[in-house]
Amino acid sequence: MRVLKLEYYKIRRKKIVPMILLLLAAEMLWACMSNSLSISRNPDQAVWASILFMTASLNGLFMPLITAIVISRMCDMEHKGSTWKLLAALNVGRSRLYAAKFGCAGSLLLLAIAVQAAVMAVYGLAQGFSGGLPAAWLLRFIGGTMLATLAAAAIQQWIAMAAKNQASALCLGMLGGFIGLTAPLFPAGVRRWLIWSYYLDLAPVTYRYAESAGTFAAQPWDGRIAAAALGTAFLCFIFGNLHVARKEI
Amino acid sequence: MRAAVIQTRKLTKKNRVHELDLEVREGEIYGFLGPNGAGKTTTLKMLLGLVKPSAGAIRIFGESLGEKRSAILRQTGSLIESPSYYGHLTGLENLRVVQRLRGLPDRNVEEALRIVRLEKHRDKKAEAYSLGMKQRLGIAMALLAFPRLLILDEPTNGLDPAGMEEIRELIKTLPGRYGMTVLLSSHLLAEIEQIATSVGIINEGRMVFQGSLDSLRSRSRGEIRFHTGDNALAERLLAAHGYRPVPGGGRLVFGPLADREVAEINRLLVARDIPVTRIEERRRSLEDIFLELTGRERSL
Repeated sequence: MRVLKLEYYKIRRKKIVPMILLLLAAEMLWACMSNSLSISRNPDQAVWASILFMTASLNGLFMPLITAIVISRMCDMEHKGSTWKLLAALNVGRSRLYAAKFGCAGSLLLLAIAVQAAVMAVYGLAQGFSGGLPAAWLLRFIGGTMLATLAAAAIQQWIAMAAKNQASALCLGMLGGFIGLTAPLFPAGVRRWLIWSYYLDLAPVTYRYAESAGTFAAQPWDGRIAAAALGTAFLCFIFGNLHVARKEI
Repeated sequence: MRAAVIQTRKLTKKNRVHELDLEVREGEIYGFLGPNGAGKTTTLKMLLGLVKPSAGAIRIFGESLGEKRSAILRQTGSLIESPSYYGHLTGLENLRVVQRLRGLPDRNVEEALRIVRLEKHRDKKAEAYSLGMKQRLGIAMALLAFPRLLILDEPTNGLDPAGMEEIRELIKTLPGRYGMTVLLSSHLLAEIEQIATSVGIINEGRMVFQGSLDSLRSRSRGEIRFHTGDNALAERLLAAHGYRPVPGGGRLVFGPLADREVAEINRLLVARDIPVTRIEERRRSLEDIFLELTGRERSL
């Protein structure tokens, strides 16, 4: 717990939270404006599912980027100041430090997802979407997005801690964003192997295309996708932790 | 004899350090000397458990490092290679990171800042510090717990002469004021000579000398040189009396000789009418010995 608290202390003045909020502002502005435009063209779109689906789609682009930036900022400060060596010589297990960093990054990303849910709730209420606040959908949105984010974060942290140069970690984030955005174009068999496509797969709603139009529909919870995200997060965290902790300084 | 704080037996790191037996006793300032690339930093990293040895044993405070690493590191402060710091945090905040990790009281932070004279710059970001200030911040971090053992790897690197002197004076006071044992590495003999009480010289990963500075100095026994009017005749004469000089450069060179022997050689030469034009003693400096031990006759 002491090591985790210290991670929050260490990121002061790194402007990580303002950066998250800035990217979130861009994403939510995009989602809300786009949704409002759809509603003005087709009033049937004025449902909670529309904003949930729009945000989940945009998360494929934004969340890998936000994840990469948050984690690279947190890991880069250790590389730049050669502090990994200092901390390792201070009787603090490197595995604990790695876990603390993951926990700290995870909590910030969870905050970002919670902010998204809050913005969607406010937007939906302001638009007067019918049926009241869909708490269950919003909670599923938070849970599903968090699962996909944890998997992406575990991969990002492994790379960001193992390589001093953060260019590769940031490139992976951008690649993840591209895959996440274009995920619906891939066949389901391919999508399953790309964790950045899980933002849509784990969303509470989906969009079903009919001949000339489409409709929003509730998407059942896919336990296999959730297990795959959790498994990826777990395995990448364990292997990344082992790799970094065993690396000679 | 004081207890050994650090003891290594046949400590080896493949291709870098070979069967190193290092012994640092309590209250000493142990100068770990060697040219760049000799294996000093690798050895110090092994002592802190940052690098895994290929073979050999390390005992610190009488305990095996492999078994009691946590307990040992709690009593050890270190500065390895360049100082480690968070550039976006102030000097004070950097010390607070170490303080919180080690669970130390606030007064330690104040005391460490005072010792390294960074009180006035405590609220400045570490990235804005000069090299000397960063080095002092690194030393403050190492000192923060007022550990029993302090391991400093080239702590005066990059400092100007005044800064170097300041750090040396600080290190000299640590055993007396805080009961610390200091293991200090350097490639500068003059630096070690000024502050260390014991010295270990490492070259190409092997310990080539270990002992007190006095015992190192005792190796600086001089050679006696006789300049005579006829060196060939003098050499034959002296050989007949059991003296075997090394001729060269128009003089006869002897190893260390007692005053009595010098007088005897002079008497023999004068008795055979061989003019003795000069008798000189040449003492080797510590630097000569260091260069000889490390096999680097040229500049380091």
